Amino acid sequence: MSEVMLEINDLHTYYGQIHALKGLTFTVNKGEIVCLIGGNGAGKTTTLRTISMLKPPKQGYVKYKGQNLNSVAPHEIVTKGLAHVPEGRRIFPRLTVKENLELGAYTVKDRNLITKRMQQGFEIFPRLRERQSQLGGTLSGGEQQMLAFARALMIDPELILLDEPSMGLSPLFVETIFDSVVALNKAGKTILLVEQNALMALGISNRGYVLQTGEIVLQGTGEDLKNNEAVRKKYLGED
Amino acid sequence: MSAELFFGLLAPTIVDGLSIGLMYAVIALGYTMVYGVLEFINFAHSEIFMVGAVIGVELLTAVLIPTGLHPVFQLIIAIVVAAGAAGILAVAVERFAYRPLRVRNAPKLVPLISAIGMSLLLIDVMRLILNPANPNRPFPSGGSFDFFTQTINLGFVSINYKTMTVFVVVMLMLAGLVYLVNYTNLGRGIRAVAQDQSTSSLMGINVSNIIVITFFIGGALGGVAGVLYALKYGVASPVMGFIPGLKAFTAAVLGGIGSIPGAVVGGIILGLLETFAGTYLPLMTNDQIGTEYKDIVAFGLLIVILIFKPAGLLGKAVAEKV
Repeated sequence: MSEVMLEINDLHTYYGQIHALKGLTFTVNKGEIVCLIGGNGAGKTTTLRTISMLKPPKQGYVKYKGQNLNSVAPHEIVTKGLAHVPEGRRIFPRLTVKENLELGAYTVKDRNLITKRMQQGFEIFPRLRERQSQLGGTLSGGEQQMLAFARALMIDPELILLDEPSMGLSPLFVETIFDSVVALNKAGKTILLVEQNALMALGISNRGYVLQTGEIVLQGTGEDLKNNEAVRKKYLGED
Repeated sequence: MSAELFFGLLAPTIVDGLSIGLMYAVIALGYTMVYGVLEFINFAHSEIFMVGAVIGVELLTAVLIPTGLHPVFQLIIAIVVAAGAAGILAVAVERFAYRPLRVRNAPKLVPLISAIGMSLLLIDVMRLILNPANPNRPFPSGGSFDFFTQTINLGFVSINYKTMTVFVVVMLMLAGLVYLVNYTNLGRGIRAVAQDQSTSSLMGINVSNIIVITFFIGGALGGVAGVLYALKYGVASPVMGFIPGLKAFTAAVLGGIGSIPGAVVGGIILGLLETFAGTYLPLMTNDQIGTEYKDIVAFGLLIVILIFKPAGLLGKAVAEKV
């Protein structure tokens, strides 16, 4: 039995009157890539925002490495080794690439460690090294995604929450990003991936969950879900 | 007017305009930094400035002059204490008047009204403390403080130690602030929070702390500007904040609200404009239009500038891709 890294139990989250998550329960084991797939408004982003307590739940709990995160502030969760690459990348547009990376390491005090990790990020995404003194807002969408990813790696996280990394990117960039997700997973990082691009996401995932209006309607291994008829119809665009 | 007179007045007008403009710039920084992180105009900032001035002057008069220290040392102590007190006051105002509204998601207009209320409250409380019948507090003069009225001749212009002090102190503060904001982890945190609060918290930045620190820095800068203003104009009083506060706010908007270099540029331009107008209007119109019209000229030009640069001179220049 593998070690549970993230445990989500009966999670309910509201936006005002809107009941966005309706009793979500799932787990992510150490070393896995797990994906959440589903259409627009299924609650994928809300799930990640609840895990990092940007949108704390009304009911249920999030446990990370056995610790309940419900009453932990978002800025403290980072220090526990949980990184969140938000939807739309959200890089800081008026800061340089280098400053964006330094902000990723805001909680790291060791200068040498920061330099080392920045170099590692540049090795994964050489494009960022070339652009390090450029303002974040001037990067292309793909470069911004690389930056958001590299920024999250600055804390050397154990678990990475990735929200729609393929959104709005050209197929070439999507491939680069997915390749690096797989490479990082091989290097020992656990990954919880949210994607609309279900086929690609399931292709690299150990397990997957299908979300529909705030509830899990299907679950299984990446392979099983990829071959599931209902999933193929609904999310892979097959009739 | 003769060319000789025109050019003779040029250098002193520039010096005077710069010293006033730099004080506006320092006050404007308080508006613009708070706006940067919260998109909110802290209208009580002009009263933080006033409280800094009064504390500085009272401290000099009641405590420091009897020590017989060199007036420069006395002024340094007064400035440091006023900065600390004004910074703490700004944090307290944020804590009690703004944060409760923010955590309840009040509409943006509401804290603005709260700020105006704080402003009036601070004026009247200070009036009560100082004695309502005679609330003015002259900046110390005579004795060892004659030092500040002495002038030194730099060749092209002579300049008194008051003005010199304004230059030196403002330059030190600006250098310190530029370093802090651009080259430290804290400064990066402030800039990050100004751009995107929720992503900042994902970076491990405690957003509430950054807001508190920003209010402290803005308040401290305002407090120092207050002491310098009292030094230059010779008096501190409960109502002294209104006009320079309004002008500094204008300077912040002129430079591009939220922009730190913008606040400095805006302050200097406004200071120079009004000083030039004040000096040259009476001379050029044979005293038909007096110095008192300087603000009309200065603000008239500002309106023209803003029509052509509505985001301010250094307002957000980078296009944001989402």
